[in-house]
Amino acid sequence: MGYINAIIILAGINIIAALGVAILTGYTGLFSIGHAGFMALGGYFSAILVKEFGVHFVPALLAGGLFAGLTSFIIGYPAFRSRLRGDYFAIATLGFSEAIRLILNNTREIGFIKTGAAFGYMNIPGHTNLWVVIGAVVLAIYFAHMFVTSQYGKNCIAIGQDEVAAQMMGVDLLKTKLLALFISAFYAGVAGGLLGFYFAYLSPSFFTITKSSDLLAAVVFGGIQSLIGPVVTAFILIAVPEVLRALAEWRLIIYGFLFVVVMIYRPQGLFGYVEMNLHFARAWWQRLRRPVAER
Amino acid sequence: MTASNEILSLRNLTVDFGGVRAVNDVSLSLQRGEMVALIGPNGAGKTTIFNLITSAVQPTAGEILLNGKSILRKSPDQICRLGISRTFQNIRLFPQMTAYENVELGLHSTPHYSLAEAFVRTPRARQIENDTRKKALELLEMVNLQEYAHARAASLPYGLQRRLEIARAMATSPQLLLLDEPAAGMNEDECNELIELIRKIHQQMQYTIIIIEHHMAVVMELCRDSRIYVLNLGSLLAVGSPQEIQNNPDVIRAYLGERKNARDFSAS
Ligand SMILES: Nc1ncnc2c1ncn2[C@@H]1O[C@H](COP(=O)(O)OP(=O)(O)OP(=O)(O)O)[C@@H](O)[C@H]1O
Ligand SMILES: [Mg+2]
Repeated sequence: MGYINAIIILAGINIIAALGVAILTGYTGLFSIGHAGFMALGGYFSAILVKEFGVHFVPALLAGGLFAGLTSFIIGYPAFRSRLRGDYFAIATLGFSEAIRLILNNTREIGFIKTGAAFGYMNIPGHTNLWVVIGAVVLAIYFAHMFVTSQYGKNCIAIGQDEVAAQMMGVDLLKTKLLALFISAFYAGVAGGLLGFYFAYLSPSFFTITKSSDLLAAVVFGGIQSLIGPVVTAFILIAVPEVLRALAEWRLIIYGFLFVVVMIYRPQGLFGYVEMNLHFARAWWQRLRRPVAER
Repeated sequence: MTASNEILSLRNLTVDFGGVRAVNDVSLSLQRGEMVALIGPNGAGKTTIFNLITSAVQPTAGEILLNGKSILRKSPDQICRLGISRTFQNIRLFPQMTAYENVELGLHSTPHYSLAEAFVRTPRARQIENDTRKKALELLEMVNLQEYAHARAASLPYGLQRRLEIARAMATSPQLLLLDEPAAGMNEDECNELIELIRKIHQQMQYTIIIIEHHMAVVMELCRDSRIYVLNLGSLLAVGSPQEIQNNPDVIRAYLGERKNARDFSAS
């Protein structure tokens, strides 16, 4: 039971962070390979608030998300302002994330706070349990759904599909991209916080490029412009290697292989453009009922 | 007062792309409510003029005034909000969105409710979304696409995509509408429908319209009572009524340089 609990908790945390990447990458079309950095920022920030300042863990999680969201402007503003090409933006996120990790790796203390450098920040109160994570996942999905179906979210989708046309139709690119990045980093930050309150410690080694590419993989495999896709894939990507320990070492090779397969056979991802709503369920059902010849 | 009725003024616009002078000292003035055409052989600089007006391209020299105020160095989205909208020669719809969603985007590119309302979707936000939906469907109806509302834009036939682009451009509530080759790839019947459609929206919505078109029949028909601007190698070659343009020796010579268009031209 404890083992399954652990898998569900870790998968749930992964889902929350992946939802953030889905909003940025899947909907707005901006690739990030640095969301581990935002997880780290949110994680350390909320852990410090709880452990050093006695803040309740729920507001601390939100504050961690907010902190990650605000720091995202440090790369977002200059990158979007100068209209950095998509691939350069992705590299900027990677650089940012690695910088955060290396700074944490070399910082033993911030004032009186012993962040422990590479050994990790110890003795964080363990507030994360199964119910906390399930609650957080439900809220995360709900708000992500509300966002992507709102006028703001649809403007993000337009940018993802044709940035030039979106701008010509009146979408403020800078504001809208910063908004998507902010929300996306917020999600990652909250996920980082939950992670710290689960393990009761945080180490910079949690937040490597492998973590970032896990999250991106969840979105690319799961499908662009879809929430259900990344949710399912984020779960699978945690659960499968956990259950089949032997597979874990082969993870990157399997990813590489799957990436190629998905790109060739289903470039929009497994659930690409599939929204979490009844409309699509109905369409699918009708498609399935139709005779094969008509499909 | 004629001066106050001027909606758009291009003053001595020049654009260089590296060594190529795509637009050379072009001036043009439009009164509110007019519909004029911009024609010229391939590569004459027509699309570049639309790109200048919508700030996709910055001029090397010259000035652009909308309602008497300079709009140089504004961003394309600001220009859109000031009331200029356009279609694209190479259709640029949002391919994975439905026809309806494409039009809707033009209506809410500046969201009408706050971000907080987006997350909790207050009754007010829902009401706004309903109004937006109604308006989008009305616009689709106006261009006769209501039955395709839920078809993916990319799945629509070419001619319908062009009409959808017009509806999307209308959704931003423009004063000035720029149509870049709306009849491209259309047959005669479709052209006639398009002429009717453009006439209808011109009259009903009281837009000022500039239309770039290679189909001379469409141009001559739409600009019966107004002017045609002829551009050649970046410079204005002639301005006048369809009659004057058709009989202008310079224009005929410019078009003869290009056989396909010469045929179009004589056919009209
Ligand atoms: N962004 C750009 N960079 C470099 N050159 C450009 C650019 N845009 C246009 N040009 C060049 O400027 C010239 C005018 O192009 P433009 O697209 O305005 O012609 P056009 O009159 O619209 O032609 P067509 O009828 O073929 O659409 C061409 O020589 C073109 O190659
Ligand atoms: Mg052109």
